[in-house]
Amino acid sequence: MNPLCKPWEHALSRRQLLGAAAGVGASLGLSNLLHPVAAEEMKKKAKQVLFIWIDGGMSQLESWDPKPNTLFGGPFRAIPTSVPGIHVSELVPRSAKIMQHLAIVRSLCTQDNSHSAGVARIQRGDPKNRGVTYPYFGSAVAKLLGAGSSGLPPYVWVKPGSSGFIHQDAGFLGPKFGAVAFGDGKPPDNLVLHESVTPADDDERNALRAVANARYAKNRRKQVGEATSYVYDVARTLMKRQDLFDTTKFDPKDVERYGTHEFGRHMLQARKMLEAGVTFVKVNSYGWDTHGDNFNGHLSLMPKFDQAFAAMVQDLADRSMLDNVLVIAMSEFGRTPRINGHIGRDHWPEAWSLVMTGCGIKRGLAVGETNAEGTWVTSKEFDIGHMFHTWFNALSIDPKKTEYDNGGQPLPIAHDDCHAVKELLVG
Amino acid sequence: MDTAQLLKTYELKTPKVLTAEPQVSLARFSPCGKLLVGGGYDARVRRWNVAAEGMPELPALEGHHGWVEGLAFRAEGELLFTADSWGQICCWSAYIGDKPAVKWKLDQAHDGWVRTLAVSPDGKSLASCASDRFIRIWSAEDGAKKFEFPQSEFGNLCFKYAPDGTLLTGDERGIVRHWKADGTLIRQFDASSLYLLSRLQDVGGVFSLALDKEARTLAVGGTKPVNGGTVVGVPTILLFDLATGEQKQKYDLGTQNDCYVADLQFHDDGFLSAVTYGTPGQGQLIYLKPGEPAPLLTYKQMQNCHSLSWHPDGKRLAVAATNGGSNGNGRPVDKDGKYKGNNSPIHVFTFPA
Repeated sequence: MNPLCKPWEHALSRRQLLGAAAGVGASLGLSNLLHPVAAEEMKKKAKQVLFIWIDGGMSQLESWDPKPNTLFGGPFRAIPTSVPGIHVSELVPRSAKIMQHLAIVRSLCTQDNSHSAGVARIQRGDPKNRGVTYPYFGSAVAKLLGAGSSGLPPYVWVKPGSSGFIHQDAGFLGPKFGAVAFGDGKPPDNLVLHESVTPADDDERNALRAVANARYAKNRRKQVGEATSYVYDVARTLMKRQDLFDTTKFDPKDVERYGTHEFGRHMLQARKMLEAGVTFVKVNSYGWDTHGDNFNGHLSLMPKFDQAFAAMVQDLADRSMLDNVLVIAMSEFGRTPRINGHIGRDHWPEAWSLVMTGCGIKRGLAVGETNAEGTWVTSKEFDIGHMFHTWFNALSIDPKKTEYDNGGQPLPIAHDDCHAVKELLVG
Repeated sequence: MDTAQLLKTYELKTPKVLTAEPQVSLARFSPCGKLLVGGGYDARVRRWNVAAEGMPELPALEGHHGWVEGLAFRAEGELLFTADSWGQICCWSAYIGDKPAVKWKLDQAHDGWVRTLAVSPDGKSLASCASDRFIRIWSAEDGAKKFEFPQSEFGNLCFKYAPDGTLLTGDERGIVRHWKADGTLIRQFDASSLYLLSRLQDVGGVFSLALDKEARTLAVGGTKPVNGGTVVGVPTILLFDLATGEQKQKYDLGTQNDCYVADLQFHDDGFLSAVTYGTPGQGQLIYLKPGEPAPLLTYKQMQNCHSLSWHPDGKRLAVAATNGGSNGNGRPVDKDGKYKGNNSPIHVFTFPA
């Protein structure tokens, strides 16, 4: 034992070791270490989420709910899909071919038409106001499902731009449940141990770090201290999984199939993260707020989304991972039916769409309807609260029975007045 | 004509306004000067009899799908060619009458959005380009395919015939190419400053082309994009020497919110006219004289202008613009609760003979 250790630090140190050991296990391929049946059972039980966030607002009319040849329908055609009777925009031909795996929701009617409030409101599930900041879906799942056996952080975010630990996502759950963001899919700086540092030196250094962390945590809230240690734990685990970031070793055929563009690269990396056992992977694409030049914009953007999305879904299906991975692709709202003077569409939360697939979700269907011009929902409207109920159910978490414990304050995990959309759920 | 005289002759006074609902993205005078034809967002081909008092609207031509953004005329035989975003091209005869007949029609001339149509100077050919990245040449008489350029790597957004029957194409990456009719490349013009890859989005490209009367100066219009999504950028016109490919001049025509040079046309009196649309709400009509360092005139009384067309007599100008307040995130409903769309005021300016 390192002479600097104190008894109450052992838990932290052990956690590190456990985390690192589990990381090694994952890097070697967990199924190789376990009885195949047991590994299969574990695979079945470990639910995961891929959450694809199309930031700014994908147009429902140029994707999942086309209204061709109508007043606001735009220039594009609708095409048939692999499911008779379901048509989508001609801009998503690859997704059309795998419609048997997908579930489209066309009757979203949400409450916010601004980005600044809408992004958080949607990703937090827009629960009733109880004077607390609710966690984003990723943090919620990280809390409710945990990290699993991979030792990897339960909530990672592959995004353009900068990296960091996005503790704000966690809300009242505390910073530990925030997102570990990999800017442009890159690993944290200095992930590789410098060659001058021996493993023994590294152990000693970490022991010292643990002491410093413990001292730091002493006079702070428990959640803050935990989060600080957690970040280091995560870093230690990631040091053993550099393969997740080394894109030069990715199969060139995969790179080609997903697309060499930013979104394709990030989606392929997301698949690697899911395969490695990360519980919740969020992938962001920015630049979809097409107030101007919406149609040229979507003509350029949608095929890239379609390419990576369809490749991902097909790969998950081929690997039998759709049975335990919930996949959701959505924005904070849709886009206005009316076409403005700069040939754009503005923000439209009144009648829009998302697409999903994976564990617990019925596939090959489109739920909900909008009217002929796509202006309003004509079937039952679903708010984001309904989606949260549906997703939690799909993950085998009963939102009617599960509550958060916010320092003694019981809080529902999804909006009390909403419910799961039964048409979307298996069984 | 000197500048002072030009500005006096083509001074913009209160126009006659024709309203097209929903919007039209382009409006063109026919070669005979009797008709103004518009194509836009409801698959109809709109027509106004501009020779008659009050410029009454004639019955629209129907049968297209999606958007109609290809319009071209042939004076001989009174032929009107129209194309839509679903790939259909249609040839109408006797386009001035109440019920023009369909002379020929190609349901799938292209697999996708036909961006531009143009009739060759000899009137024998019709050229089309579309989002399927093909340029095709058709017999104007019967629609038979005469020639097809190899599929290009990037789509063309616009093109124009030169008086000698050669073809100028402008693509989404900002490259203008000058072709012989047989598909031989004569020259490339680098207007790639009009293109930007913004994250995933290819933004901009060549939005408009014009040639002066002598076919010496090529004008290329678009924007210098700053970002995608809500596209902003400075409206830009580049002037090239057609014979050498040398860029002679560059005009920055406003702020980043003024965005695209949507349409360009040289007037026979030697000046270039252009219209812009921006984000949000700006619109400009601009006169330029090649060689002059700055625009002669910038008129900002119209919102988001999408096309301009000079009457064959050179004394009338039609600008298709957009109604005010066309954008916004709210629920735009009328007094009956019906969701409101937008329209295009088409401003017809008249100048003294």
